[in-house]
Amino acid sequence: METFYYLVQQMMFFTVPLLIVALGGMFSERSGIVNVALEGIMIFGAFCSVLFLNFTQDFISGQFQLLLALLVAAASGALISLLHAYASVNMRANQVISGTAINLLAPAFAIYTARIIFGVQQIGFVNTFRIAKVPILGDIPFIGPMFFQKCYITTYLGFIILAISYVVLYKTRFGLRLRACGEHPQAADSVGINVYKMRYAGTIISGILGGIGGLVFIVPVTTQFNASVAGYGFLALAVLIFGNWKPIPILWAALFFGMMKTLSAAYSGIPFLLNLGIPNVVFKVIPYIATLVVLAFTSKNSAAPRAEGVPYDKGQR
Amino acid sequence: MKKLLVLIMALALVLGLAACGEKEEVVETFELALITDVGTIDDKSFNQSAWEGLEAYAKDAGLTYKYYQPTEKSDDAYLAAIALAVEGGAKFVVCPGSLFEVSVGQAQTLYPDVKFVMLDVTLAEIQPNLLTVLFADQESGYAAGYAAVKGGYTKLGFMGGMAVPAVMRYGYGFVAGADAAAKELGIDVEMKYHYTGTFSESPEILTLAGAWYADGTEVIFSCGGGIVTSILAAADAAEKDVIGVDTDQSGLSDRVVTSAVKHLSSTVYAAAEAYHKGAWEGGYCKQVTAANGAGTGLPMASTKIEGFTQEMYDALYAELIAGTIAIPVDTDYASAADIPVTNTTLTVVE
Repeated sequence: METFYYLVQQMMFFTVPLLIVALGGMFSERSGIVNVALEGIMIFGAFCSVLFLNFTQDFISGQFQLLLALLVAAASGALISLLHAYASVNMRANQVISGTAINLLAPAFAIYTARIIFGVQQIGFVNTFRIAKVPILGDIPFIGPMFFQKCYITTYLGFIILAISYVVLYKTRFGLRLRACGEHPQAADSVGINVYKMRYAGTIISGILGGIGGLVFIVPVTTQFNASVAGYGFLALAVLIFGNWKPIPILWAALFFGMMKTLSAAYSGIPFLLNLGIPNVVFKVIPYIATLVVLAFTSKNSAAPRAEGVPYDKGQR
Repeated sequence: MKKLLVLIMALALVLGLAACGEKEEVVETFELALITDVGTIDDKSFNQSAWEGLEAYAKDAGLTYKYYQPTEKSDDAYLAAIALAVEGGAKFVVCPGSLFEVSVGQAQTLYPDVKFVMLDVTLAEIQPNLLTVLFADQESGYAAGYAAVKGGYTKLGFMGGMAVPAVMRYGYGFVAGADAAAKELGIDVEMKYHYTGTFSESPEILTLAGAWYADGTEVIFSCGGGIVTSILAAADAAEKDVIGVDTDQSGLSDRVVTSAVKHLSSTVYAAAEAYHKGAWEGGYCKQVTAANGAGTGLPMASTKIEGFTQEMYDALYAELIAGTIAIPVDTDYASAADIPVTNTTLTVVE
């Protein structure tokens, strides 16, 4: 049972950053901007916020520090996403190229800056953020050990972001306009919506969530940031597509990927799976093969925003 | 406004190029060089301690020094990094790690005027400008396994970076040492044994280590450079223990109860000194063992295994020096599963 609880706790560490970043990608893509820069945004957000953790760990610690760091991550993610927005909206550049440029820039920037400051590329931080047990909730049998022991507030933040994203996208005027800009920007413009503004908003939201996702990914899994988020930005893209650009399916996709990631890494600590004698590689490839299969079968009714990737040109009809 | 920007950019570009042009006239050279193995210069173990030895001597003797990182893990890339170092003026090149076997084998004849030191692996033919150094890693591993079981741990784990000779020697020694202690105490111990396939940290290693801890493992021997970061993070969460490797890693966390060390930095320091003072001796393989200058073992000053005393360590070390213990090495068995054990349930995880 100990192992089962551990696996669920661990699964959250993989699932939540994927969920947050994929939701960020969703906002950008639903507004019509392809965002392959998620990896770079995560790295940049994680870099700035871990730097913040490193500089402030002598005077503050615990949840308050983590909350401040999350703000730093959000701000830095928003900042770098502005580059992408400017290139994609104002300059009408190819959005994949601009995103790739950010993916190349972010880790190089992080290594370069860290080496200037510390002489080494790793930035260490002290992890004072783990909650051993949430009062009252942690004592609930079964559910308590799964979700309310040895946890991080970032896990709950992920689910709060999910709820807010759903409401914003489907229940507000802003969400409707955002989706319209991703489907048919000319129509949106014809009724007086500023497509440029909406696309900027979508991209900045993806930057905010991407930056947060970077920190959320780093905090539970290591004690030093090494200019990498291990490809989770790209994985989040896969989650976004797997989840058909919709919040709730994205949650299922993130849970699925998180579960498979956990099992592939931890299977030798689970006597049942170890005794099955299935090679490790099988667990590792399942999420990717599943993505390919699902995409192959659903590509016809894919819900990809129709105007995605197309720069908006006012003069075009 | 746009024109002004373009102008500034163009000026910056021109000036930047001009600056580069000026620099080329004064080519900086670096006399001492180190090529990193897979993993980085700040891996807190293998590369780092070799680098520290080189850096220390360079500073003491006032020599220039630099490290080079191969672009990828391949013999060509390693040879290219060596060529880069030599072009950069290197006269003394340290190559830590068994993955240099092929590239250094070529480099020693390509650059006969350059002195090479290769750690952890040796060659059939060693030119006079090459010194290879083999450490008796199995002795340190043995001591660590012995100490852990003597100290009361009964469920142990071994996580190696890759199945390269040095890591295998540590691992085999660890298995043999744990088994020997279990036999002495008349108890049974369990051990999981795994190569992670990388010398860098990764969330997967953290998850795996955490799963082992959740399954009952009490201490994990982290044997592979940067992976210690991930294992330590898991150990912190599970409140279990870690054994470090290569250098005394007790400074990383209170969870490090001891470390299986080998004296990398002092070896590199001595070689650099020999080179600089004209006392270079190459063309052979130097063996660093417990008997031969106490090059292996445990740092007892920082060891925190209750129940494993200095007296026990001294007795063990005397035996290592005397060579009365037969410790298996990488060339004896293809897999850790083949090591004969009596009191250990060994689970090798592929």
